[in-house]
Amino acid sequence: MQGTQDSSNAAQRTTPAPAPDASMLLVGRDIRRSFPVGERRLEVLHGVDLELGPGQRISLMGASGAGKTTLLNILGLLDRPTEGEVWLDGQEAWSLTTRERALLRNASIGFVFQFYHLLAELNALENTLLPAMIALPPAAYRSRKGEFEDKAAAMLERFGLTNRLKHRPGQLSGGEQQRVAIARALLLDPPLIIADEPTGNLDSATGERVLELLFEEQESRSTALLLVTHDRRLAKRCERVVHMEDGLVQADSTLTMPT
Amino acid sequence: MYRWFLSLRYLRARRTNWIGAVGITVAVAALILILSIMSGFLQEGRDHLRGNLGDLIVMPNQDYPLLDRTLPRTNETELMELVRANPHVSGAALQLAWYGMLVPDEKNALLRHPIFGDLSLIHLVGIDIPDEYEASDLYENMQPSDADSAFQVTPVADMQEPFAPPSFYTPDGAPKAGIVLGAQLAASWNLRPGDEVELFSLGIDPATRSVQGQGCNRTFVVTGTFRSGENDMDMERVYVDRRDLADMLGRSTAWSQVLIKLHDYERDKVAAVDTLRRSLADSGFVHALSGNDVSDYFKGEVRTWEDLRGNMLGAIENEKSLMGIMLSLVMVVAGFTVFAILSMMVTEKRRDIGILTALGAHPRGVMSLFLMVGCWQAFLGASVGALLGVVGALNIDAIERWLSSTFGIQIFDRTIYLFDHIPSVIETTGVALILLGAIACTLIFATIPAWRAARLNPIDALRFE
Repeated sequence: MQGTQDSSNAAQRTTPAPAPDASMLLVGRDIRRSFPVGERRLEVLHGVDLELGPGQRISLMGASGAGKTTLLNILGLLDRPTEGEVWLDGQEAWSLTTRERALLRNASIGFVFQFYHLLAELNALENTLLPAMIALPPAAYRSRKGEFEDKAAAMLERFGLTNRLKHRPGQLSGGEQQRVAIARALLLDPPLIIADEPTGNLDSATGERVLELLFEEQESRSTALLLVTHDRRLAKRCERVVHMEDGLVQADSTLTMPT
Repeated sequence: MYRWFLSLRYLRARRTNWIGAVGITVAVAALILILSIMSGFLQEGRDHLRGNLGDLIVMPNQDYPLLDRTLPRTNETELMELVRANPHVSGAALQLAWYGMLVPDEKNALLRHPIFGDLSLIHLVGIDIPDEYEASDLYENMQPSDADSAFQVTPVADMQEPFAPPSFYTPDGAPKAGIVLGAQLAASWNLRPGDEVELFSLGIDPATRSVQGQGCNRTFVVTGTFRSGENDMDMERVYVDRRDLADMLGRSTAWSQVLIKLHDYERDKVAAVDTLRRSLADSGFVHALSGNDVSDYFKGEVRTWEDLRGNMLGAIENEKSLMGIMLSLVMVVAGFTVFAILSMMVTEKRRDIGILTALGAHPRGVMSLFLMVGCWQAFLGASVGALLGVVGALNIDAIERWLSSTFGIQIFDRTIYLFDHIPSVIETTGVALILLGAIACTLIFATIPAWRAARLNPIDALRFE
């Protein structure tokens, strides 16, 4: 098992660190993030280190305001850390150009949000196809359109949305929308899925089913999963649980997976 | 790919986008329509203003000495040889132009104008046949006019001898020389072929610059009329034989100007004026421009008919560009509409922008997505507008008639203008420029909201549901 790295080790480093272990998929080093509040700056993350190997399933827990979402945004390459490094697939994300970073995000990360975040103007199938449309220019996309559509439709059918392909998000239930969001996150087979409280907006039974689906897909594809949750039961189903408190990783425990 | 796909989807899904397109449609259609009509007026104006003028007119100031202190030469034969030797010239005719008055008699006393009373100012033009036919449009303008024309031309009996009295004319005393009148003048004086008409004029003595004697008058017999389409010319001008006029006025120099027709007016006008002026000045018929302190004045000695009518043409041209500028403001308003609609859309679609960024869209891609929404509005609006504008300009007469009859308001008063239809000319380059302008204007206005969309922080955009 990788990474029970102590944050204090990282804090002592003074010289630029060499590239991290190449076997790691995602490495965050000494991540700090502060926001201006009036004339002062409020530091939300105080130097977080986190490593995630391919196919690993980590849950990130902590009270509200502990900095989970901020960390997730930084690891998801949506927000630039005030200090520190984020290595994804062997590349330091924030030293890349905006375009390269966008490409990396498109190819390597699938997002599942608490509020599903589907585009209201597109139907379920089109929403699922969006990452491919973003990845490819018109001519290239058109030549592979059939392939992507088949893949997306097959996935949605497997997720129990056979009769929902042409439905707009407004015509779908919360659980169905989240399943479309999961299909969208998986379309390009990214090595990493980042899920921010994916069941937070669903009733427990629906949430359970959505989560089962997510775990099943993650396992069968050997995709790494970084899951933010409040739910201890859920966290227990992950290999590692990282506890955050006041912008620091307080505990990083490796669990034995139930067989 | 997503930019094409989403921009079209956004365009279709949001009705307000159509308002932007409609705004552009109206602006483009109005611009094309108005500019086509103004071009039509300009072209009709040019056709009518030209009247019986030739392409070029040589009008020497025969009383003002040349640089060598001698008066300009007046030898007709040499002058005409010189003019005809110019390679651009296809025809030339001498004219003797002067002013006079038409003296009424008992017969038409009832029809006299209540304000101008007994007198009518006449532009007397003495011409040579057939030279005149080669140099101006007089031949065409003496042909019978269309049946629905307001002023009918009464053609002369023999085009080759237009001043020969008609066969039914029985002279009262000695036979008189013939005269061809403008159709409007003939109509207002109720003159028909065979009628006698008396002209009165005064000569100026070049030596003393005073009125010569008692004036002169002579009776002519009407042989026919002409219609040039230029109101003033058709109201004032009469044609007689040049020798008759010189004789009546007692002039030793029987010409005052030369009308010239070119092989290709538009192509050669500048070169022809230039070469003619030089060769005529070298031979002492007109004044040289160099070394002359009133050279601006002498520029008028050799000029095109457009120079002669410059003020009128300039006025219409001016109106056209003024209308263009004013209507371009409509385009700016349409641009603002697109700006407002896209700004609203960017605010509404904050969450979508965040999602797209999370899924790997580049900020520049997001910008071009919203620019494309603006682009579709511009293309759609501009092409529909161009279609409406062109179809409207082609059928403006029918549209005007329909509007007039439906709403009972006369939009185009056919008695004010010379033409019985609303003229319109579609200029391809004009239409292309309007289209380009509309698209450019819309894109400029769309850039601001699109740029704002690109700068949106995806975290902020995703934070709130």
